Amino acid sequence: MNSKTSNIGILFFILIGVIPFAAAFIYALLYSFGILGVFNDGFTLKFWESVFSSGEFLSSFGYSALIALVSTVLSVSGALWITLKFKESLDKRFLSFVMYLPLAIPGVVAGFFTFQLLSRGGFFARLSYQLGLISEARQFPDLVNDTYAIGIILAFITMVMPFFVLLFLNVYKNERLEDLGVLAQSLGAKKNQVTTKVFLPILLKKTSILIVLYFIFLLGAYEIPLILGQESPQMLSVLIIREIKQFDLSQISEGYVVAVIYTIVVSISAILLFLPKKGIAHET
Amino acid sequence: MRLNWKTFVLSFLVILVLFPFIYMVLLSLATDWRFPDLMPNYIGLKNWKTILNSETGLLESFFQSLFISLSVGIVSTFSGFFISRSVYYHPKRKYLNLLTYFPYILAPVVFAACLSFFFIKMGLFGNIGGVIIAQFLIGFPYAMIFFSSFWNKKIRHYEDLVATLGGNRRQTFIKVLLPLAKSMLLICFFQTFLISWFEYGLTSIIGIGKVQTLTIKVFLFIKESNNYYGALSCCLLIFPPVVLLYLNKRYVFKNLV
Repeated sequence: MNSKTSNIGILFFILIGVIPFAAAFIYALLYSFGILGVFNDGFTLKFWESVFSSGEFLSSFGYSALIALVSTVLSVSGALWITLKFKESLDKRFLSFVMYLPLAIPGVVAGFFTFQLLSRGGFFARLSYQLGLISEARQFPDLVNDTYAIGIILAFITMVMPFFVLLFLNVYKNERLEDLGVLAQSLGAKKNQVTTKVFLPILLKKTSILIVLYFIFLLGAYEIPLILGQESPQMLSVLIIREIKQFDLSQISEGYVVAVIYTIVVSISAILLFLPKKGIAHET
Repeated sequence: MRLNWKTFVLSFLVILVLFPFIYMVLLSLATDWRFPDLMPNYIGLKNWKTILNSETGLLESFFQSLFISLSVGIVSTFSGFFISRSVYYHPKRKYLNLLTYFPYILAPVVFAACLSFFFIKMGLFGNIGGVIIAQFLIGFPYAMIFFSSFWNKKIRHYEDLVATLGGNRRQTFIKVLLPLAKSMLLICFFQTFLISWFEYGLTSIIGIGKVQTLTIKVFLFIKESNNYYGALSCCLLIFPPVVLLYLNKRYVFKNLV
């Protein structure tokens, strides 16, 4: 390969793919230590101390991680169930297209739609009223902007589960699980054992990186928690933007502290997931 | 009996999938649909006619979003294709590949918040150019990762064969590589188009409300509690991707696992 062309390619890669990320991280890091910023006057650890002592970051991080975990587990479990129960039916022309439709729904629409359904004046509240379950809107339970993040989790599942159904169906076909199942059964395995010892391990192993990636994406999700989340604790991205964009300029550094910690967590996850493992040969 | 149970659950799932689309269309056609009415009192095209009214600027937002997404999709796809060749043929490709994942998995809104200082300094804050560049910074890593599987030994052998037979680099690209990558280029374009089309957080930070894409409009209508126009914006936002998904659905998962 022409080395000059290759070097130009690498140069562009560094310019577009590496420098902006590095610049953003360094800027946030310097801001968090008080080295940059209109109201900052030199290196200090007070913003880091303040973030950890207030407890808001830790509760936000725990809250986000829990929501992301519950949403991912429920979505993956539901998708596995649908895939294994309805794999033949989902292959049909009409259904195979219908299953793709949820992929056309962005976060902002999922958030808006969930609010329209689950809020106190929403569709289910109206349905409950018509069925005589409630006599006025305020009797309907809090399902959006609520403490348990029910609205957020439902919206996440709406978006993520269809993706995993399609993914598992694809793996099922590509890995010829049907044939493996027949083979296992002919060797004496029961139907239940075929599912637990053949189908599930292969499906989960082949998609494990994408499952972890989706957990990370949900951890940093913004639009849905912004529409359906509560005031406190907030999910990480919402908290970071609230802190950075607030009117009290002296507090912005704390927003950058949270941004730096979040970036480090995400970067470590990327390293753990994608750093080449020694002893594993990759054919390229 | 078993078949009936499965048919029932499957029908329920289909309704569940179609319900958001039906509800959004219904809400966009309604006015004065309040609690406790289960169905709207008025269903008609009154709201849709306002698309043509410059007062709401929805049509303008639609074309602005289309322009931004087409630009991001085209630039990300072609730059990703050409640059990924250098990266994935490089001896240190495994480490370079790792670097592409950092901006890819970081929340775009946080990325934009940390980058906004540089965009202000470069005069790219609050204009379409800035939004396109910012979205390109998240579309490009996606395209890089997408093409990582394309540059394999087989493709390299094709390139060597063309060189052995006397073909130059331009001919290699035009006559061999681009035709081989045609379907992947198309899918990558669809995906990066959708990344841009669905983007809200990063656009709101870099566009500071001056660049009003459809996602920004949806949020504005939510803030104004204008559910009908919000639903209408949602319809404009979700129906173009439905068409795109129909066109490329069979390829979407081809390169994921």
